Amino acid sequence: MSDVKAAVLVVEDEALIRMAAVDLIEGAGYEAVEASNADEAIRILELRTDIRVVFTDVDMPGTMDGLKLAHFVRDRWPPIRIVVASGMQILAESQLPPGSRFFRKPYDDNSIISALSELLDAAS
Amino acid sequence: MDAHDRFAASSALSLMLAVIATSETPLLLLSGDLEVVAVSRSFCVAFGLDSAAVQGRSVLEMGEGEWNLPQLGSLLAATASGATEVRAYELDFRQPNRDVRHLVLNAHRLDYDDKDRVRLLLAVADVTTARANEKLKDDLIRDKAVLLREVQHRIANSLQIIASVLLQSARRVQSEETRGHLKDAHSRVMSIASVQRQLAQSAEGDVLLQPYLTQLCASLGASMIEDPTRLSIQVAVDDCLVDSEKSISLGLIVTELVINALKHAFPDGRDGKITVRYHARGPNWTLSVSDNGVGMSADVNVAKPGLGTSIVEALASQLEAEVRLGNAAPGTTVEIVHKRLAVVHDAPAQAV
Repeated sequence: MSDVKAAVLVVEDEALIRMAAVDLIEGAGYEAVEASNADEAIRILELRTDIRVVFTDVDMPGTMDGLKLAHFVRDRWPPIRIVVASGMQILAESQLPPGSRFFRKPYDDNSIISALSELLDAAS
Repeated sequence: MDAHDRFAASSALSLMLAVIATSETPLLLLSGDLEVVAVSRSFCVAFGLDSAAVQGRSVLEMGEGEWNLPQLGSLLAATASGATEVRAYELDFRQPNRDVRHLVLNAHRLDYDDKDRVRLLLAVADVTTARANEKLKDDLIRDKAVLLREVQHRIANSLQIIASVLLQSARRVQSEETRGHLKDAHSRVMSIASVQRQLAQSAEGDVLLQPYLTQLCASLGASMIEDPTRLSIQVAVDDCLVDSEKSISLGLIVTELVINALKHAFPDGRDGKITVRYHARGPNWTLSVSDNGVGMSADVNVAKPGLGTSIVEALASQLEAEVRLGNAAPGTTVEIVHKRLAVVHDAPAQAV
């Protein structure tokens, strides 16, 4: 692994949850990049090539929800790993691109961090 | 045929016509070539026809031509020939100056003594209102389910905000004690979130205790146990349903007792396990949390009771239960015992 910190893109429309997620990810030693919806997330992904994981909410305003974003990212940037969190119970992992991880909200911070480290280890 | 037979036959015919005429279900008796032999008053009222005007005419020529439906003609002809029967055939019936009605048709070729004279009985049910009501009911049920999902989604999101802010504060504060309090508060929020999750999966507002407490303890373990090879939480709970209010109280009690055991029972990297049990017998039940740790030391006993202790006592009293502290040797057991005096003659409830 290189010395550069792995970058994680947090996509969440709720400011407080996004702020805490950024804090959590930075606390775990990664670089956190923020987007408040899928469109913004895609603009960031088009500009930056160092994003390794997208950590997204599902229910967000804009042209795409987090599920569509997950599939879009999987198609367009296959190496990027995906972690999805939602309060919706109906969401099954089968609706997500293969290899992505799903967490029910409210999620446990430790579970998110261990998922991130597993995904980043597997990808490196 | 003698006079008596003729009288009997004419009496039977008149009875049959009277039965058809008074039928509440709109009915038509048809000949083999689909001419109307008899019609019920209910049919005439439902479709605005005159009984005398339709008798002797083809069923397809009744009224202003609204019955001239090719599919009806072919179904009835097939029924008359004995090839098939019309069973619950549905059609949209259009009549001038009236809303479209949804009809369900049933037609049978009658099996009776006179093999040469074919007779069909056609029953017509107007299900327009019933179908509209069913659709309305389905729509309401769907709306309710959508609303409920939306509410559950918002609750989950709100709990996520609270949980996130608490843990973010915990990561930032300098004081180890304050950090502990913030983490405890986070565990309490997650405990309520667990119940919410179980409720979202149940239709009746009751919670299955076993999966609920299992999930709750897994979540407590994930956030509080740093080395899962050293400490574990086991759940041995009866298969039972409890209402949501009781489940929230039981969950919060378990949260407090497990947090307490994790904090005090295993100092200096000691190994161990915590066991959560719930056993019910009739209206009596016992919830217990035990550990195989160091046990209660004298100074813990005299120490000022913390918030956790107050929460457990308040919730136990709300559940009309008693808190019993015991030495498990090794370790500590706390039992929350609910007993109804009415069944005191029964064998006493015991924690398994």
